[in-house]
Amino acid sequence: MSQAGYMNNYLLRSSGVLLFLTLWETAPRLAWLDPYFVPPLSVVVAEIGLLLGTGDLPIHLLVSSWRGVTGLFLALLIALPLGVILGRWLTGLADALDPLLRVLSQVNPFALLPLFLLFFGIGETAKVAVVTWVTLWPILFYTITATRTVDPLQIKSAAALGVTRSQMLCKVILPAAVPTIFIGIRIGASLTFFILIAAEMLGAGSGLGWLVHNSAMNYLIPRIYAGATFIILLGFLLNRFLLYLEKSLFAWQEYPASWTTAGEIRPYVWRPGKGAAIAGAATLSVILILGACEVRKLNQEAMAGAGGSSGHAKHFGTPVESGSGGF
Amino acid sequence: MARDADVPQQIQTDAKIVVKGITSVFHLKKTRTTPAGEFIALNDINLEVRKGEFLVLVGPSGCGKSTLLDILAGLAHPTSGGVYIDGKKVTGPALDRGIVLQGYALFPWRTVRQNVEFGLEIKKVPKQERAAISDNFIHLVGLDGFADRFPHELSGGMKQRVAIARALAYDPEVLLMDEPFAAVDAQTRESLQDELLRIWEATGKTILFVTHSIEEAVFLGDRVAVLTPNPGTLREIVKIDLPRPRHNSDTRSSAEFGWIRRKIWELLQNAPSDARPHPNAVPVADAISPTAAL
Amino acid sequence: MPTRNIVSPWSLSRWLDRSSILLFFAVWEVAPRCGGLLETFIAPPSVVLITLWELLLSGELYGHVAISLGRAISGFTGAALIALPLGFLLGGNFTTFERIVTPVLRFLGQVNPFSLFPLFILIFGISELSKDAMIFWVCIWPILFNTITGVKGIDPLLVKSARSMGTRLLPLFFNVILPAASPGIFTGLKMGAGSAFFMLIAAEMIGASRGLGWLVWNAQINFQIPKLFAATVVISVLGMILNTLLVTVERHLLGWRDSSPHH
Repeated sequence: MSQAGYMNNYLLRSSGVLLFLTLWETAPRLAWLDPYFVPPLSVVVAEIGLLLGTGDLPIHLLVSSWRGVTGLFLALLIALPLGVILGRWLTGLADALDPLLRVLSQVNPFALLPLFLLFFGIGETAKVAVVTWVTLWPILFYTITATRTVDPLQIKSAAALGVTRSQMLCKVILPAAVPTIFIGIRIGASLTFFILIAAEMLGAGSGLGWLVHNSAMNYLIPRIYAGATFIILLGFLLNRFLLYLEKSLFAWQEYPASWTTAGEIRPYVWRPGKGAAIAGAATLSVILILGACEVRKLNQEAMAGAGGSSGHAKHFGTPVESGSGGF
Repeated sequence: MARDADVPQQIQTDAKIVVKGITSVFHLKKTRTTPAGEFIALNDINLEVRKGEFLVLVGPSGCGKSTLLDILAGLAHPTSGGVYIDGKKVTGPALDRGIVLQGYALFPWRTVRQNVEFGLEIKKVPKQERAAISDNFIHLVGLDGFADRFPHELSGGMKQRVAIARALAYDPEVLLMDEPFAAVDAQTRESLQDELLRIWEATGKTILFVTHSIEEAVFLGDRVAVLTPNPGTLREIVKIDLPRPRHNSDTRSSAEFGWIRRKIWELLQNAPSDARPHPNAVPVADAISPTAAL
Repeated sequence: MPTRNIVSPWSLSRWLDRSSILLFFAVWEVAPRCGGLLETFIAPPSVVLITLWELLLSGELYGHVAISLGRAISGFTGAALIALPLGFLLGGNFTTFERIVTPVLRFLGQVNPFSLFPLFILIFGISELSKDAMIFWVCIWPILFNTITGVKGIDPLLVKSARSMGTRLLPLFFNVILPAASPGIFTGLKMGAGSAFFMLIAAEMIGASRGLGWLVWNAQINFQIPKLFAATVVISVLGMILNTLLVTVERHLLGWRDSSPHH
């Protein structure tokens, strides 16, 4: 496609988004919609700015990220070794367990949320456990499939060199399986984001889900919109980022037929190097460490504020607990 | 495996590879339509390969030639008999044998260079040396400038060259090739055959090459071992006296080439069991060069 | 037995295939009887079954299931009624318009529904409408996108050959376009129904005073362990039945597509 054609297409595609945003701004201002219930875009953006400025939003973002990342890590820690073992060595056991695993994975995770709260209390453990549970299944299933379906020719040609079992695992099976495993991680991460927001709405004193829920209970309407918009944007960006990462990490994979047409120059794909890997690891560790500190601090404050009451999650209509309102 | 004790661990020989009384039997599981049974893939195969020789195993599909190659590579164990390299019994896969498979079997997540260096990593060769060695072999197979490409960016012929370079890089003395050129188009195939002969002459490796193409066998080999199926039996070893260096265009058009090809074809057709010759078959070589048959 | 491939669902081998599930239930039954913390927190299947029976007899379970299913069905039907015609229009007739609105729709489709739930409650109150709106929102996107993809993916040759035979617009729609787009549409309906049930439970937990989600949540709050387990089991079983039902319906409706050999 020519440069002009590309630009044209781009304009056409973004015009819908622009129209939507314009409508959001003008409709409340022209009183087509009640501005009390639907604040215009600029008010919502200003509210997001305000929340960012006071540091509320970053803290809740950090807390939510910590819960998500910790759950994801735990799920990886369980599902990866288990998946490799079931997929590669104990295939008979994997076949025997398959029906049970399918049934367990089909259990509605929201239905299990109360069970987790029962087992782990309303502390952080329950939320992390829910996230772990939800993320576990896609990672486990994709790992089993991926390690099972490694090209036998690749295994054979490595085996012909007399590689050891660990070399086979690290140099052949894992690299071959990683792209498929990553799909499982991506699916798990998007599910996590869903369930985490819900769990925070149900039983938490902090986090993005709580922020929106709390605003709703206090009728802080621009803040509901601000929180919701922020969550929506975050989910969208997370999804985009993971897709992009998948594409760039696994650039060695064969492209769909449209890319391989003869003579066409492959578009440049960013291949992450050492720097990017270190930056990624650093970000994750910062989330883990700072998040852990923040979560501890918030929970201690909540304990002090609530005076040790067993304050379970509140339903709409129940009075708002003001103890942690200041955060 | 069960009769390993009968097979000596070491023998006295001058040959590079000795295949001694190899029999391979598969036990078939009972299915709905067939009772449990045994399938004899290889029946008492005996073979010797000299150092630096190019030996081709030719036969129709199902004659057990790939099983024999797997046994040579140490990936499969014979039911009885043994394989000896330099007089020492083969017990498992090792880096003294390189293997090139039909489907390239390149690692798609590794660049050309990383693929070539795979065996060196297993051998724990230091990084600097690895780079020098891989450069050398990438040059040998004519892929200079492609070292940092990924396999999906290469054509089929180029992939096969990478597979050959990978098998050569860790300097095995024996190269085992299992129908390596079966997946590429006819033209590429001929140029790869020329290339392989050039590489063989440059490196002096002992090559054991499996194919189902009689033409390929005759063109490449010093000797051609003809295998017939049901059960897999070594029918005859044909010596190829075509002059070297061989080139596709000249060698193939020579009268001797046609004559040897016909001889192997007849050996395969007159296989005693299932393989029936076509009733109206005219030996191709006769049509090409009637005098050659005299 | 007419053919040897068909295994009766109650045959021994089928149960052996499911042995891990049986084992799971056995462990679940025995573990709480060993005392300790497990005894307080886990209700064994036998107790859960008794509780289920009591809930059934008192009519309580029926009420909650009916309410939940009612919500799911009304939200789903509403979404299908709007998404299907819209999908046909966008996918078939107004393709330029489709290119303009698709980015917005895609974005809306990726919106985390829970972030919108407080807004729905704000706008519709705590009435049934807010739950219906939530289910509606969750269902409409997969149905819409898959309908658009299904309609766009119809082989133009099919339409052309039907036209050349002088087919009128309505017969063309019912005899060519609808069947050709049906695999895509059905995928959408299936995804919609699946996520509807998934989200419904959460929505009922967050803001409802009846329904299965509320039942399980309320049982947790009041520490009614057997009831909590019973409700969880009902939800899980309903979800699995829904899943199986959809797969079966798809197989019957779209049997013609299955000409390729089975794996």
